[in-house]
Formats: sequence, C-alpha cells, structure tokens
Amino acid sequence: MLGRRQKQEKWMLLAPAMFVLALITMVPLANTLWLSFTDTRITAIAAPVHFIGLENYIYALTDPDFQAALYRTLYFTIVSVGLEGVLGIAVAVLLNQPFRGRLVLRALIILPWAVPTIVNAVAWRLIYQPDYGALNSLLYQLGLISDYRSWIGDPSTAMNMVILADVWKNFPLVAYVALAALQTVPDDLLKAAAIEGASPWKRFRSITLPWIAGPLLVVMVLRTIEAFRVFDIIYVMTSGGPADSTKTASFFIYQEYFNYLRSGSGASYAVLVAGISAVLILVYYSAAKRQAAGGTA
Amino acid sequence: MPENPILCIDKLQKTYGDVPILKDIAISMDPGEFLVLVGPSGCGKSTLLNCISGLTGISSGSITIAGRDRTHAEPADRDIAMVFQSYALFPNMSVERNIGFGLEVRKVPEREKKSKVADVAKLLKIEHLLQRKPAELSGGQRQRVAMGRALVRDPELFLFDEPLSNLDAKLRVSMRTEIKRIHQTTGASFVYVTHDQIEAMTLATRIVVMKDGVIQQIGTPNEIYNRPVNAFVADFMGAPSMNLMKGTVTRQADGIRLEIPAPQGSTIELTDYDTAPDRLPAGPAEVLIGLRPEAMTDQARADGRSVQVADCVLDVVEPAGADTYAVVHLGGTEAIARLSADTPVAAGQVTPIAFDLSKISYFDVSSGTRL
Amino acid sequence: MRRSLLQSVLVYLCALMLAVFTAGPLLWLAVMSVSMPTDLTEVPLRWIPSDLDFSRYGALLDVADGSGRHFLSALRNSILTAGGATAIALLVAIPAAYSFSRRKASMVLLFAFLATIMMPPITYILPLYSAFSSLGLLNKTVTLVIVYAAMLLPFAIWLMKANIDVLPVEVEQAALMEGASTAFTLRKVVLPLALPAIAATAMLSFLVAWDEFFYALIFTNDLSAKTLPVAIADFAAGRVTDYGVIASVGVMATLPPAILAIAFQKFIVSGLVAGSVKG
Repeated sequence: MLGRRQKQEKWMLLAPAMFVLALITMVPLANTLWLSFTDTRITAIAAPVHFIGLENYIYALTDPDFQAALYRTLYFTIVSVGLEGVLGIAVAVLLNQPFRGRLVLRALIILPWAVPTIVNAVAWRLIYQPDYGALNSLLYQLGLISDYRSWIGDPSTAMNMVILADVWKNFPLVAYVALAALQTVPDDLLKAAAIEGASPWKRFRSITLPWIAGPLLVVMVLRTIEAFRVFDIIYVMTSGGPADSTKTASFFIYQEYFNYLRSGSGASYAVLVAGISAVLILVYYSAAKRQAAGGTA
Repeated sequence: MPENPILCIDKLQKTYGDVPILKDIAISMDPGEFLVLVGPSGCGKSTLLNCISGLTGISSGSITIAGRDRTHAEPADRDIAMVFQSYALFPNMSVERNIGFGLEVRKVPEREKKSKVADVAKLLKIEHLLQRKPAELSGGQRQRVAMGRALVRDPELFLFDEPLSNLDAKLRVSMRTEIKRIHQTTGASFVYVTHDQIEAMTLATRIVVMKDGVIQQIGTPNEIYNRPVNAFVADFMGAPSMNLMKGTVTRQADGIRLEIPAPQGSTIELTDYDTAPDRLPAGPAEVLIGLRPEAMTDQARADGRSVQVADCVLDVVEPAGADTYAVVHLGGTEAIARLSADTPVAAGQVTPIAFDLSKISYFDVSSGTRL
Repeated sequence: MRRSLLQSVLVYLCALMLAVFTAGPLLWLAVMSVSMPTDLTEVPLRWIPSDLDFSRYGALLDVADGSGRHFLSALRNSILTAGGATAIALLVAIPAAYSFSRRKASMVLLFAFLATIMMPPITYILPLYSAFSSLGLLNKTVTLVIVYAAMLLPFAIWLMKANIDVLPVEVEQAALMEGASTAFTLRKVVLPLALPAIAATAMLSFLVAWDEFFYALIFTNDLSAKTLPVAIADFAAGRVTDYGVIASVGVMATLPPAILAIAFQKFIVSGLVAGSVKG
C-alpha cells in the first residue's frame, strides 16, 4: 500500500516521460485525426481550411491506388515475416546443434541486425544493380542466368527483391528469440520421446515447436508491426517503383503529404493505417501477456 | 499498562483487499524491553513489523512510538531503525558509509559522523572492516554492519526482521548471544521477529506469539513456556513441543483423577494434587492434558504426590546426546519422554516413566484454550 | 544424441551456407569499398580486386574533399543526435521506470507508452513537421534529439523497469528507513546498482537512434543537421559513378554499431530477446 507521499511521487516521477510522449506522439496523433476531416493542403500561404466530415475517408476507402498500396504492404509483411520465421527457426535449430564454430556463427548473425537499415538498402541495391551488380554476375557465372537482369527495375521481381533484403536484415532477431526458447526445451522430454520411438521430425513437431511457439509468436507479431510500417528500405531501393510495384502504405501517404501536398486527405490514409497498426499492437499485447503468464502456445 | 510505553499499538487492523492479515492487534511495550514476535510463517508477524516501521500502511487502529502518534508518519519520521533479513546493505558503499548513511542523509557534520561510526564499529568489533565493501564480508560481518547502521542513529526503537535466518546454524547461535549483549549494553528497546521459538525464548524479555494474524499470548518466556494459554502456544513453543494427550479427568475430593489411554486397551491412571480441582469440569470429562517431555522422565523419583510413576511401552528411541527421547503412544498422540542417555533403553521395552504433575496444563479438547 | 556422418556433414553444410548468406553481402560491401573502380564495372565481375584502393576512405575522412565534408558532418550530426537523444531518454526513463517498478504506476500506462512508438511514424509526421516548421525548428539537431528521445523513451522505460524489478527492494527500504528522500535513494542507491542495465539500455537506444531514417529525412535538409542514414541515401541517389564510394560510406556507417554489437553481443542479444518477447 502506498503512502500519500509515494502516490504523489508516482506521478512526479512519470511526469517528464508523459510530457515528452504527449508532445511528440499524442498531440500529433490528435492533430492528424483532426486533419483527416478537413481539406487542408500544405501551402506557402495560409489557405482557408474546411471541415468536410467523412469525405476523405469515403474517398480513401474507395481509392484503388490506396487499396493496392495496402495490398502490397500486406504482401510485403506476410512474406517478409513468414520467411523470417522459417529462416529464424531453421537457423536457431542449427545453432542449437553442437558443432565446431557454433559460437562464432552465433556471434556472426548479429551483424545483419547491426547494419543500419539504410546501409542494408544501399548494399542490396548495389548487389541488385542491373549492369554491374554482384547478383547478376554470380548467377551468370554459376550458369543460372544467361543475361543480366534488372532485378529491382522489373515490376514482377522488385517487391520480392526488397523482401529478400529485408529478411536478410531481420531474421537474426527471430533466430535469437527462437534460440533462447530452444535452450529451455527440457532435454529429458526429447530423450523420453526418442526412447518412445518418435522420429526427429515428430519430436520437433510435437515437442520442440509447441514449446517455442509462445515466444516465437510474440516476436513475429512484433516484426509484423514493424514490417507493416515499412518505408526506409523502399525509399532507398526503389522509391516505390517501378510502376508503383513497391509502393507501400507508408510510402503512399508520404507522397500524398510531401509530393502532392494534400495533408487532409493524407491524414485520412494515415489514420486508417494507424487503425490497422493499433489492432496489430493489441494482438501483440495479448500474445505477450499470455506468454508472460506462462502459456506455451 | 505501563506508565510510559515506548511502543503502543492499539486496535490495529490490516487487510489486503478483503483478506484480513492482522486482526485487532494490541501491544504495549516498556522502554528497554526485548519484545519478540514469533509464530509460524504466514502468521502476520513480519507484516506487523512492517506496520510498525511504516513500510506498510495500516487499515485501522493506531501506533504510538515514544509517546507520539506515528500511525500515519513516514518511516523516516518514526525515530526507528530496522535490521533486515537480507541485511539490505548498500553494495556500492563501504562499510563506513553504510553505517553512516543515516547520518549522511541527515547532514551530520563529518567529524561527528566519523566518531559515531567509530564508536559503533568498536561495539560491534568491526573496526578493521570499515573500508571494505559488503561483498567482501562474511554473512556474520554483514549482519554486524546492518546492526551498526541501525545503532549509530540511536533511535527510540529498533526493529529486527528475522536477522539471523540467513546465517548457518553455528553462527546463528553466536550472533544471538551478540544481539543479547548489545541489548544489555545499550539498554535500547528491541522489537524482533523470528519464526524460531528457541531464538524467541533465549532473547526475549517478553514474547508475542501470533497465529493467523491474531495475537495468541503475550508474556515472559517463562509464562509462555509454563503457562501457555492454548494448545497452539503449547505446541509451538519449546522443542520438542509439549505433549498434548487426550485423557479423561474426574474431580475428586483430594485432587483430579487422570485416565490416559495407552496401547492395547490399557490406561495410565494418575492423580493431580497440585491443580485446584474447581478449574476443571466435575467430569468425567475429556480434556487435552499437556506435559512437556522433561516432565516425563526416568530421572525423578516418585514422591507419591507431584511425581507419580507408570509403566509405558517405548515405541521409538531417539538418542540425542545428553538425553534420549522416547516416543510413547499415549492419549492418541506420540508423546515424547525425555530419558537420561545413561539408561540403556530399547524400542519395545517397558520402562517406568515418572510424570511430574506439578508442570501439568489442561486444555479444552475442541477450542484448545487453557482450562 | 549421436549423429551419423551424413548428419554431421549436413550440419556443417548448413552452417557454411548460413555463414555465407550472413557474411557475404557485408564482405562484398567491404571488398567493393577497396576495389579499383574499373574492377567494379567488369562484366562479369572481378570478385578479387586487382589492386587495393583505400583512397575513398581517405577522401571520406578529408574535410577539404566534397564527399568528405558531407560524410564528416553527417557523422558528427549522427553522433550528436543519437548521443543526445540517448542521454535525454535515459534521464527521463529512469524516474519513470522507478515509478512503474516501485510506485505501482499502472502497467496499462506503460503499454500505452509502448503502443505510441509502435505506431507508424507516418501517423505523427505531418503535425510534427508543421509545428517544427512554424517554430523555425526544422533542420536542427536539437529537433531530432527531442523526437528521437520520445521514440526511445518507452523501450528504455520498459528495459529499465525490468531491471529495477529484480533489484532487492529491501535495500531501498533500508534507505527510506534511514531517512533518505526518493531522489537521494535513486541517485545514491538505485543508480549504482542499475549501472549495468543503464549501460545496456543506453547502448540499445543509441543503436536505434543511429539507425533512424524517416524523421531525419523529413526534418533535415542540409549539412548542418542531416544524419548518416540521410546522407547515405543522398549518396546512393546521386549521380555517383563509382559504386565503391557508396560502399565505403556504408562500411563506415556500419562500423560503430557492428563493433558495439560484436563486443557486447551477450548484453545486446539478451536485451533484444527480453525486449521483444516479454510484454
């Protein structure tokens, strides 16, 4: 039970943090919400602002370009996070096996995580470069392609190439979480199952995977939230192109704001995206809470 | 009620949500007393200490320390010091700064602080450790530093929260002596929490026995030991604990006739001439008969009055150095008799046991209260 | 359990593939940065440089050089921004974390804090941009410091809270009994005990700030405040004919976080795992 002084202190200690966050997040959020009901534009001279109700939203929800951007974001998110999950688990299982150099490899995979997002984007852009890029050269020398290709200049491959770059940077986080979880799987359980005659795959499916499912789910939801707001890597690698094939929601809104200067309409897109993120965040908390409460799946 | 109690707790209640933790606690303590709160874990003794310290708020009632109402005062304003179970030393500070912390907070001048710390260090025999960090000390030394931090401010009241429970058995005994010595030299007032009834018996000037948030008995070690107010106190205090045997009492002209069932349908019959017969029901009535192991021996000689002999079958024999404890099935319980180690006995043997009825207690079978 | 020879071969093969996949792109970036410009435009590529060329690094570290000036000012801005934001975030986060840990501030509030930074920054960007613009705060390091501090704050609070939770509460109670104020206890008792946690939190915060791109892109426009990520994006978008220059900037920007990450691997990994899994 807190004394009166302690109750006062509770809020005094929190005050600076609440002030900073209110200023940088809550006030802008409220402001964005307000803008979304107006026809505000970014102009050099102050123009009259009109409250236009749900007009922006009605437009946004029927805008095929925005729907396409949302769809691309969804594709990027699902494929990226899915691959990170599969690769992360595989890497964790590998790094949980005893072999020489295991510790070095465990240390090595932190490097992609440490590489700044922008450097990652730039590096892969160089690798994908159509005329002199490493990927073209490697595949050509291996005899897998006969002609150099424009990997991120071709709408049919661009998004997947961006995804590959994103997966390379982000699989380590999933792998580390999976590895930490793997190390808590009781050895006796696996031995008992082996004695009962369960195959390695069966043991993995029915013991290991359920055991690590909880933490894995949490980190993958977290990655989903992050992937859903993807911007940096798109900006540097493709600028949303070619032919809008990599234009995701964040990039779409960015253009609506800063290229077309329609802040009112842009804000309505932003609020819709924030709404989707809010749902994902709630999913994250319930998953994390269940995990903290000790549930395994 | 003493004239000027150093600590007076009145009608104290403490609940967490709907769960009562402490019920109607009332304690009055004289200056210079060594008051020990004892009871099984979960009895509320540590919560009570935290209420006195102010680390925990109370639901109702009052706490007065040295004549001033401290019910709602901050811990720092109660003029008390506390020694924690884990010692709670500041790991990043030297022993000297640990002891002088309270003085540092109160901005006591450097010279005065140094000399006070030196005095306390001398009292506790830790002068040579002043520059060390807590991590470089043994358990017993940390304990001394924790006490030093409490002593240096010379507060009205000292609180000890199971201070010896983290020490090994041998060190615990010597630190116990040390704490008693400090109490005697300083003449300070101590409130001391422990679950160890031996610690309570050896240290206390008065003992508070608690169970389920309720005070069972407050009394000197002697009163607690010889005149427990109920079966719980009788059972909890003393090791091995008091034998509580079911038996039948019948009031007679010259005393109280006891019949205690023994194995195979036999009965041990004794007559208590010491207890005033009118304290018990006219009978025949079933009661709990309490006798401590040392009142069931092979040493005393029957005198036909307080000490009476009956033959008992020894079920189990447990040698314990100076004494041998023998388990005897009496009154539906495994009663323990304390025999001399010099007498060779074996399990299954029938031995005459002398019952010293001058030390007898009677308890109600259902409520457990003393009759 | 024993492995068959085939299984062992398989394990080592997978390990090799993982090592190549992980290190390959980085290694190639480093090779590019020291290759002769002509090696990089051969078809197919010349993987091993014909000669080592460190001149690009020399140029990057030379203030007189054009790209050097860009790089060095961005480096300075990045250090100031990430460092300043980390310092402010910790200064604000530690009392807040103490409140959550020891004064029973509601966890719902902490979740709300965390939710604010999980939102896409695009949600906040325009009002922030307008406000900073009208206050004349665009293109200033201090603006980025404030925004980044807010961005780092929830996670820093969360990490610090988890670490304060496991400190022995009795030590603080002892300080309280001895009459110390909460501020005094925080400074003299809690902080020294939490020092390793503070270091870990500071490091992770610094790395996150070092990596940030979106706000920096919007809020800065020249040498005086542009951070490394923005400068690198500029380099990559510009009409640079020598890819080695871009590669060398990338290597330079990666070195500080990579060194930190390798040196404090255990620290960082446990912080990351705890930070992403426990709610």
